[in-house]
Amino acid sequence: MNGGALAGLKVLDLTGHRVQLCARILADMGADVIKIEPPAGDDARRIGPFLDDLPHRNRSLFFWFYNLNKRSLTLDLNDPRGVELMRSLARSADVVIESFAPGAMDRIGIGWESLHRDNPALVLCSMALFGQTGPYRDFEADDTVLSALGGMLYINGFPGRQPVRPLGLQAYHSSAYFGAIAVMLALLARDRTGNGEWIDLSMHEATAAAVEHVAGGYFERKEAEPRRGTLHWSRFFRVGKCRDGYIMHCSLGDWTSLIEWVKADGKAQDLDVPEYNEVVYRFLKAEHLFDVLDEWVKDYSREDLLERAQLLRQPYASVRPPEALFEDEQLIERGFFAEVAHPELGRKFRYPGAPYAWSATPWRVYRRPPLLGEHTAEILRDNLGMDAAQIAALMAEEVI
Amino acid sequence: MPPMPLEGIRILDFTWVVAGPVATRLLGDHGAEVVKVERKHPPPLGNRKLGLQCDLHRDKLSVAINMQHPRGIDLARRLAAMSDVVMDNFSARVMRNWGMDYQSLSAVKPDIICISMSGLGHTGPKSSYVSYGPTLQALSGYTMLMTEPDGTPAGYGYSYADMCGGYTGALAALIALYHRERTGRGQFIDLAQFEAVTAVIGPALMDISVNGRTQSPPGYNSQEGPSAPHGVYKCKADGTDDDRWLAISVRTEAEWRRFVEAIGSPVWTGDPKFRTLYLRMQNHADLDAHVSQWTTSQRAEDAMMSLQKMKVAAGLVENGVDMCAHDPQFAARGFWPEVANSRGGSTNVTGIPFKLSSSSGRVRTIGPEVGENFDYVMGELLGIGKAERDALIAEGAVWP
Repeated sequence: MNGGALAGLKVLDLTGHRVQLCARILADMGADVIKIEPPAGDDARRIGPFLDDLPHRNRSLFFWFYNLNKRSLTLDLNDPRGVELMRSLARSADVVIESFAPGAMDRIGIGWESLHRDNPALVLCSMALFGQTGPYRDFEADDTVLSALGGMLYINGFPGRQPVRPLGLQAYHSSAYFGAIAVMLALLARDRTGNGEWIDLSMHEATAAAVEHVAGGYFERKEAEPRRGTLHWSRFFRVGKCRDGYIMHCSLGDWTSLIEWVKADGKAQDLDVPEYNEVVYRFLKAEHLFDVLDEWVKDYSREDLLERAQLLRQPYASVRPPEALFEDEQLIERGFFAEVAHPELGRKFRYPGAPYAWSATPWRVYRRPPLLGEHTAEILRDNLGMDAAQIAALMAEEVI
Repeated sequence: MPPMPLEGIRILDFTWVVAGPVATRLLGDHGAEVVKVERKHPPPLGNRKLGLQCDLHRDKLSVAINMQHPRGIDLARRLAAMSDVVMDNFSARVMRNWGMDYQSLSAVKPDIICISMSGLGHTGPKSSYVSYGPTLQALSGYTMLMTEPDGTPAGYGYSYADMCGGYTGALAALIALYHRERTGRGQFIDLAQFEAVTAVIGPALMDISVNGRTQSPPGYNSQEGPSAPHGVYKCKADGTDDDRWLAISVRTEAEWRRFVEAIGSPVWTGDPKFRTLYLRMQNHADLDAHVSQWTTSQRAEDAMMSLQKMKVAAGLVENGVDMCAHDPQFAARGFWPEVANSRGGSTNVTGIPFKLSSSSGRVRTIGPEVGENFDYVMGELLGIGKAERDALIAEGAVWP
């Protein structure tokens, strides 16, 4: 037992590059996650950025990020012997996670019915682009297309101009979070019934769920949420510009102390009327309110403005580049960045780490991301009781 | 109706705004009894029977308790002792002042799980920093990198920090419950929403920390390996609606050939400067201009179908009306479930993006008014009779 909350949980991760964050979330909490890759390596290994910009299947930072704490086993699922090994591993696993097109698991011979027959307590989490059913089930997509169909693009940017795409593969990330939530729910259900579950997750729906105010707006007002430029949809936040950079305004803090400050600077214009004490009025007058506040902040330096704002408990913040995170004293002090040694390279790297601190079962770095097939032999030996000769034969025939 | 995974689990919920309510809502959707403790007059953020506020509050109970009153605190502590998980999104001092921090509650109920979902975490030099989802997004770098091609900040159309915080909060509860089932031990989880949203910047953070590269706004460059054409393209106006766009992503050589065929093999596609993926990436501005010429002659829905018929990844940039009223995939999978309201009518909400084969969650009730479940909480849960309830009301410890 490794001291993690999920110690002893056996997970087989068959996902390709899209939703491999799902099993990583479980691995970070102590689950034993085996990433099963085709002998040529997972497609994530061919996606950059690469270490020192040298493309190589063991140097993909994209792969590294999503596969920390996992072990790697190579398996040719086009070969019946590979499929048989997969079924054997699934017999003693708790969870299998996959993101193939609907029907592919059945065609391979490891669909729900056969896995469930072999191991009734197994949880199978199927994460397809559009789920296992419906008219779009066989449609193609990448993160950009999912973001489009899931409503995550339309709302970013300015009215009348092209919608803007966010940083990162957020349609996939939302799907991966929901996948991990679904797996944990299925495991808790299993504790009561003794039976596994087949999870049918739709990435399309997971994307839409992350922008639920859009559907909320439709069901409340029968309207499409528009693009609003830098005004947040809640109408309580907007990007402003100080002398030396951008900041985020907020009109949800204590209004009295904010307006006293603005007044003292002689910049309150017509905001100094009692109507603005009401949250609803600030909501209705948002554009004008932030126009006035923009005039107010433009001669401030960001540091002066934000220091004073926080002293007055105004939820203002700096709009800053992600590079600043690595110097952020709060993240450093809380140990957010995890140092991960890569002994084969003789180097250590800082990874983004735990989003939560656990008092009894800490989030941990157990192992660096695996080299391709690094753990194939030890897994076949330990999990399936195979000897060196059997493993060598499979290797010679390129099944593993 | 088959049982849901969290039936019999009680969550005492002190969270408010978005992130916390998203977390406890996910638990409520799956059968947990979520008791929301709030004051009589919370900030007016909208109608809980409809739209986003209904989504945030559905499948929960509400009781109004005065936490400024010693007897109110006493009632809340009794409720905590009957709960499995206590969740809040305050800074550390709030729960401590009420004697409801993990240390105090675990003395009364040793296996209690406490999850605090504050903005920046309970420890560190900025633990008292005041924040909301959009300001945390600004600090993380997301807002800065959401820009128009000329660098103008374009804002974020959704509250991703709130969603990441919410999903991470739900996961924390589920993982902690799973661990408690096995060990009998509860624990305290200090979740920083800032860290939750920072964690999903993903590989870009690795590029900063490992390669030292300054990140630029991604625009419509593919973030999952080479792809061209890749982006959103303007389509023909739909009646008076000139805001119609199609996302397209073409990766492999085979996809390019199918794309060319789908758009009718125009002469320009034979131009040597588009011969390979590398050349298409190099000459993407010209390529995008040609693709736009095609899309502007098409209705977005039709163009999507023509491309998908040829197995090319393409999707309408859906707005709220497209998603909720027209998208056949969401409709076929029942992603906008209908929930009855108290006036004999009903409303629709955002569904759960995954189904479990035998223990799926269900949206059962719309959001409660503040204090709507006073009788149940005071009577059935706390066993407080009429006379004592009246006394508590008269003292101002609770609001009926």
